[in-house]
Amino acid sequence: MSDVQWPWQYNFPPFFTLQPNEETRKKQLEAWRDLVLEYHKKTKTCIIDIQEADNTALFFNPAISRKLSPEGINAVLEVLYKNGNAEPIDKTKIRWYIYWHTLAEWADIFYQHAQENGLINSVCTLYELVNTPDKEFTGLSEEIVIKILERLQKDEKAELILTEDTSGVKFF
Amino acid sequence: MRRRAGVGAIQKQKLEQEKYKDKGTSIQENQLEQLSQHLNTFRDKLESFASEYKNEIKKDAQFRRHFQEMCASIGVDPLASRKGFWSLLGMGDFYYELSVQIVEVCLATNYKNGGLILLDELRTRLVKSRGKSLQHQDITNEDLLAAAKKLKIFGNGFSIIPIGQGQYLVQSIPGELSLDHSLVLQQVASKNEAHISVSVLNNELNWSTERAQHALDFMVQEGYAWIDTQSPQEHLYWFPSLFTECMNAEKETI
Repeated sequence: MSDVQWPWQYNFPPFFTLQPNEETRKKQLEAWRDLVLEYHKKTKTCIIDIQEADNTALFFNPAISRKLSPEGINAVLEVLYKNGNAEPIDKTKIRWYIYWHTLAEWADIFYQHAQENGLINSVCTLYELVNTPDKEFTGLSEEIVIKILERLQKDEKAELILTEDTSGVKFF
Repeated sequence: MRRRAGVGAIQKQKLEQEKYKDKGTSIQENQLEQLSQHLNTFRDKLESFASEYKNEIKKDAQFRRHFQEMCASIGVDPLASRKGFWSLLGMGDFYYELSVQIVEVCLATNYKNGGLILLDELRTRLVKSRGKSLQHQDITNEDLLAAAKKLKIFGNGFSIIPIGQGQYLVQSIPGELSLDHSLVLQQVASKNEAHISVSVLNNELNWSTERAQHALDFMVQEGYAWIDTQSPQEHLYWFPSLFTECMNAEKETI
């Protein structure tokens, strides 16, 4: 967590109040978008739960006693969603997946990894995949990995083998 | 019996007036000639001085400042024209170059400060973007003010706002700031906290609540200030241009 590079805005109290001026708000939300992605990348987390979010370090800075309101969080998620960096998990829109790489980018990263490591045409388990040391996707949550691989499957670059206990993938 | 004014008297008066006029003109011409002679001498002197010390003026910030002060006290603007003899000095170019760099820094930092930048921050960033040699580093705030003044030719899109204690803000977004707005900025700067509120303006400037609110709303509307509704007492208005962490933030290299 300490790895997160907090931008100057994080200590700027009005950053936590949704700005009424359109231009200013645009800059504000862009800064929030960058921060949310940086935070999830560094903490290797992929889910925001709106009901709990305002108690996480991301949206609550105790040093200046400021927290982003649920409306503010929703506005940030909306921006992330538009850029392909977030997606609601279900219709309630309470829990959201956060992609610090968009799914398309992730798909490229995985496929390139498969190519570089001779995984084409062989099967590996998802467990093996996400436990490859020192990769950007190391430790990535399995739900996300499945979404990424489904994308590759659509492009006929991979086939997912989903079973109860161990799921695997074959790259083409 | 009253003597009526004769034609002779009137003519005499007229003649006198004409003579006075003639004399006046000749004196005036004389003075003008003398003056222009003085001016020519002065110009020559100034010119030879400037060209003799050309390098010093360009290199030495202190020297440049004295030279500028001297020019200012006698009402000469060394930057007024590039065509005149000053072009030989290249002083104009020096300041034009600075002006362009000022605009660059303003544009590059606009995304975070909304178009207001403290002269000190401007200087730090500008110096960083210039070459490493001493000559490039030695830029004083006076140099920047002189160069920034040149930018006024672009209309009200560029202005300098004194905020007291020898500090200045450079405004790089069109839109005239009124006296009230400048006073708000002065208050913020003097408090050194980068924020202000209606009650502070009430107390410090004896403003009515409406007047204070009006001025602060304007600052938000123009993008100079951000509103903070989470302060326990009242809404605070924050100025990123005066917020230390924002000033030091390193996103762009400029």
